[in-house]
Amino acid sequence: MNLTYYRLELRRILRDPVTLFFTAGLPAFFYVIFGASPDYGDEPVRDGNVAMWVMIAMAGYGAVTATTGLGGSAALERMQGWGRQLGLTPLPDHGFVRVKAATAVTIAAIPIALIFAIGAATGARAPWPVWLVSGAVLLVGATTFALYGLVFGLTFRSEAALGAAGGSLVVLSFLGNIFVPLTGWQLTVSRFTPLYGYVALARRALTGGATLDPDDGVLIPEPLWQPLLNVTAWTLVFALGAVVLVRRGRRRQ
Amino acid sequence: MTRLTTSPPSGHHPPAALHLHGLTKVYGDGPDAARAVDGIDLRVATGEIVALLGPNGAGKTTTLDLILGFTPPTAGDVRVLGLLPREAVAAGHVSAVLQTGGLLRDLTVGETVALIASTYPSPPPAAEVLGRAGLARLAGRRVGTCSGGEQQRLRFALALLADPDLLLLDEPTAGMDVEGRQRFWDTMAAEAAKGRTIVFATHYLAEAEAFAPRTVLMARGRIVADGPTDQVRRHASGRTVRVRLAPDRIGPAADRLGERADVQAIAVDGDRLRVETSDSDEVARLLLGDLGGRDLEIEMASLEAAFLRLTTPDPCEEYVP
Repeated sequence: MNLTYYRLELRRILRDPVTLFFTAGLPAFFYVIFGASPDYGDEPVRDGNVAMWVMIAMAGYGAVTATTGLGGSAALERMQGWGRQLGLTPLPDHGFVRVKAATAVTIAAIPIALIFAIGAATGARAPWPVWLVSGAVLLVGATTFALYGLVFGLTFRSEAALGAAGGSLVVLSFLGNIFVPLTGWQLTVSRFTPLYGYVALARRALTGGATLDPDDGVLIPEPLWQPLLNVTAWTLVFALGAVVLVRRGRRRQ
Repeated sequence: MTRLTTSPPSGHHPPAALHLHGLTKVYGDGPDAARAVDGIDLRVATGEIVALLGPNGAGKTTTLDLILGFTPPTAGDVRVLGLLPREAVAAGHVSAVLQTGGLLRDLTVGETVALIASTYPSPPPAAEVLGRAGLARLAGRRVGTCSGGEQQRLRFALALLADPDLLLLDEPTAGMDVEGRQRFWDTMAAEAAKGRTIVFATHYLAEAEAFAPRTVLMARGRIVADGPTDQVRRHASGRTVRVRLAPDRIGPAADRLGERADVQAIAVDGDRLRVETSDSDEVARLLLGDLGGRDLEIEMASLEAAFLRLTTPDPCEEYVP
């Protein structure tokens, strides 16, 4: 991989305080409000607590916000002529994709690390393997949302599209059982939305394969194939969308 | 195509920096198909500086895209130093300063150079390239805060990182002020002196004249003339004078102007007379004075008009007495 390009990509992101605020600062704030502060934060969830349950979700929200933004801006960059500039160099397309993928994983790690650190300091509690596994699942799973951002960027072709993509994640987070714990029919609908499977898999190390019913704090068992199928299906949808749009873009030239 | 004088040397073949053969690019299909490039043949020898002159929509940018392999030709082929376009790009034999080459606004000038340099196996030192492009003092400046001319010099610096044998420039001075334009061409002259082959697209005849010994004229996807620039200029310069005349005066005025050596073409359109001339001052004076014209307008011959003249065998056949 081209390490110079990777390093400069990171520098661009770290230089942009607005992006950093929305990808790391805001979800960390959400965690403090919804996870660390309330009394229910220390209610037990198996060997951990509710604060941990909230923390994983908020870290996931931050991670997908980061990767979605990266995917969207990659699409815009290429369409706005940077692709042609790179086309003058020996850097192959897959070299560009590799740099962006590595960058996506790295910047997804920023909100995860920050929020996990705040969580550790403010009472999120779970055995250490839970921290490790949930963190790893969040990191890997966030990369699929780079494709989601790519689809947004390729479809709407403007800076505003990136704002819209970020906004859509707020809606998907409500739908995906991230900001507010859902119950009843809302939870049933939630299971079909893109962020649900991602966060459910990351929380699995804590819950041992169940969702938390907010009404009575009871864990409802959930077979592993459900969140797995959710993540696989949505990844395929995003990937197919990206391929179709890239081809369409090429034809138009 | 009009060969204005001597053809490029055909007896002994130096290795062609660029060779286009029957190159054609058609966008779309059916009745909407647009022939952006329509069967062009071009051979540019190593070390030549060639202006690709033509109005917007003549097919210049598409031709450059085909040479770089950004888009595949519909027919015909391209060879850069004997290689296919993408091979030549990957080997660093060809690079370009593109009109639409986007830059990342949030990187600095120096970072942009470092990034592009990292894609080449053995690029020249960044500081040297910045110096050659006149950017040494701007290395720490964000690209987004650079002027159009500075960004254009940055694109030029990026092209130098390839150390290319063939350098393509697409409207390189668009958006620059006079001073910036002069400085850009001075820099380019220094590069040409090192033996690089340079092909640049422009719609300024003056730029072709100042910098390129050879000019290739394009119009509607075809090469309409190819030859020494000063000869092309003679065809493309001149002005058009339009004037309104009383009906009974049009015929005599046309006859009188037709006798002048500095009048290339005359056409009548209702009560208006259109005169193409290389001495618009004298013709205007005559028209407003002795010939009794009014509503006189003078305009520079557009390149489009110049191309039409070049493709019309005898301009005076337009004259309708």
